[in-house]
Amino acid sequence: MLALDFPPINEVLRWRDLIPGIGFNKISLIVVLAVVISVAVFFAAIRKDPMKPPTGVRNFAEVLVEFIEQQIIMPTVGRSGLGWTPFLLTLFVFIFLCNIPGIIPFLQMPATARLAIPLFLSLVVWLVFVGAGLKHQGVGYFTHLIWPPGVPAGLKPLVGLIELVSTLIVRPFSLTIRLCANLLAGHILLVTFAVLAQELIKSDAIALKPVAILPWVMLVFITAFEVLVAFLQAYIFVILTAVYIGTSVHPEH
Amino acid sequence: MLTAVVRTTGSRVEVDLVAAEEGEAIDPADCEFVETNEAGVEVCLEGPSPVAPELKEFLWGGGAFIVLLIIMRLFLFPRLKAGMDARAEHIRASHEQADAARSSARAEVADYETALAAVQAEANQRIDAARMTLEAERAERLAAANEAIATKRHAAMEQARAARAAVQGDVAAAASDVTARTLELATGTTPDAGRVRSAVEAALVDMEGVRS
Amino acid sequence: MEAFSVLANSQITDEGLKAANAALSSGFAYGLAAIGSAIGIGFLVGKSVEAMARQPEAAGMVRTTMFLGIAFTEALALIGFVVFILAGLG
Repeated sequence: MLALDFPPINEVLRWRDLIPGIGFNKISLIVVLAVVISVAVFFAAIRKDPMKPPTGVRNFAEVLVEFIEQQIIMPTVGRSGLGWTPFLLTLFVFIFLCNIPGIIPFLQMPATARLAIPLFLSLVVWLVFVGAGLKHQGVGYFTHLIWPPGVPAGLKPLVGLIELVSTLIVRPFSLTIRLCANLLAGHILLVTFAVLAQELIKSDAIALKPVAILPWVMLVFITAFEVLVAFLQAYIFVILTAVYIGTSVHPEH
Repeated sequence: MLTAVVRTTGSRVEVDLVAAEEGEAIDPADCEFVETNEAGVEVCLEGPSPVAPELKEFLWGGGAFIVLLIIMRLFLFPRLKAGMDARAEHIRASHEQADAARSSARAEVADYETALAAVQAEANQRIDAARMTLEAERAERLAAANEAIATKRHAAMEQARAARAAVQGDVAAAASDVTARTLELATGTTPDAGRVRSAVEAALVDMEGVRS
Repeated sequence: MEAFSVLANSQITDEGLKAANAALSSGFAYGLAAIGSAIGIGFLVGKSVEAMARQPEAAGMVRTTMFLGIAFTEALALIGFVVFILAGLG
């Protein structure tokens, strides 16, 4: 009666090369677009006279900077972490612009749903927080991880092992999986309800055609939800990065 | 036409050569990515696991992010932040200027108020002095006028009293004369003029007492 | 009766068994992984709302901490989801 034909998972996740030879596919297009859009927006922002009250694109860029400084850095690292603003701002803008194509017509694919992009970002974050730890604490960063101070001597090897694994392995792993899986799940949900609506519309039974409104309403709802997820996952990725940098810079917290 | 089906499982690559009829395309349902290799043979590539990171995406994504980070860190963000700081500094300076202007204005208002109070005090003093002078002058003139009135009245009263006394003396003399003649006529003797006179005066005083 | 005869006649191949196992286990993997996270996130958000209602002036701090907590709590469910993709579809 109803041939529900869900496409193979790779067909909704992997894309043929748009320009063969250099591996330029839809994901590459999205990341390049993300870079172009963010550079264009910030360039337009700095072209405006900074002495006038900010309006339009400059206001937007300044609100973003204030958001990173006041909502992300101040509660996690504190005043000394304000130097990390450009890095975290770039991270936030890039992740958001890679997330949001999941609901943009014709693109309809969040670049971060492919594991490679969150993996790269997590590796960068890993390098940054380990580097910050080494810079502020020297080799003490690793010795504190392995032999944590303020723990009973008998528990030190156990706690040290847990700390070492959770800091150096679980942190980048969970950052990667969290970002990728959230966007992947959203993408698969959208595909599922789109396929359901389409198959119901196309079905031979007339009685089934009006039922297509239900998955369609769900599709609209999930699309709205995906906007929230795109923002929230970028926010969570960046605030976790800030927390990790904070623990590297101030080991006592 | 010869079709090669290439399956990559991990590091192992399997190639099956399948003789297909001329013109028969590879069914897309069986094969995700159809590619034509150098020999003009259609090759069916089975995609890797959907959650496996792919090197080309890793490189493209990483490259894009690094480029964005460098542009942002070296060019866009410092300019934006410099503008924001300059405006914040400008606003702060304007604020301080406004504060200074306000405090100077307050000081001027205070100066003005003290000057006003001094002037008012002086004016009050002068008004008081003028009033005092006026009062004294008025009292003086009043006293002089009263004195003049009193003198005139005194004089008038003296005159009136003298006139009255003269009239009374005339009346008494006339009455004494009348009384003495009456007595002379009646008794035939001339009465003592002094006694008659005093009796008449006493009677006149009595009459005056009755009349009043 | 007919259904049983179909069952009896159908051949259970190794590959089919593997696919059936994969489908079954991937379903269980996701379902089981979601339970703990669902309870955890519900508890966490409920408590956060309570805290925000009690002290609205601390709402910003509570919200930040809430998102951090959600991020950590959710991780295990997401790993379950990835296992579901890997085992069921991969």
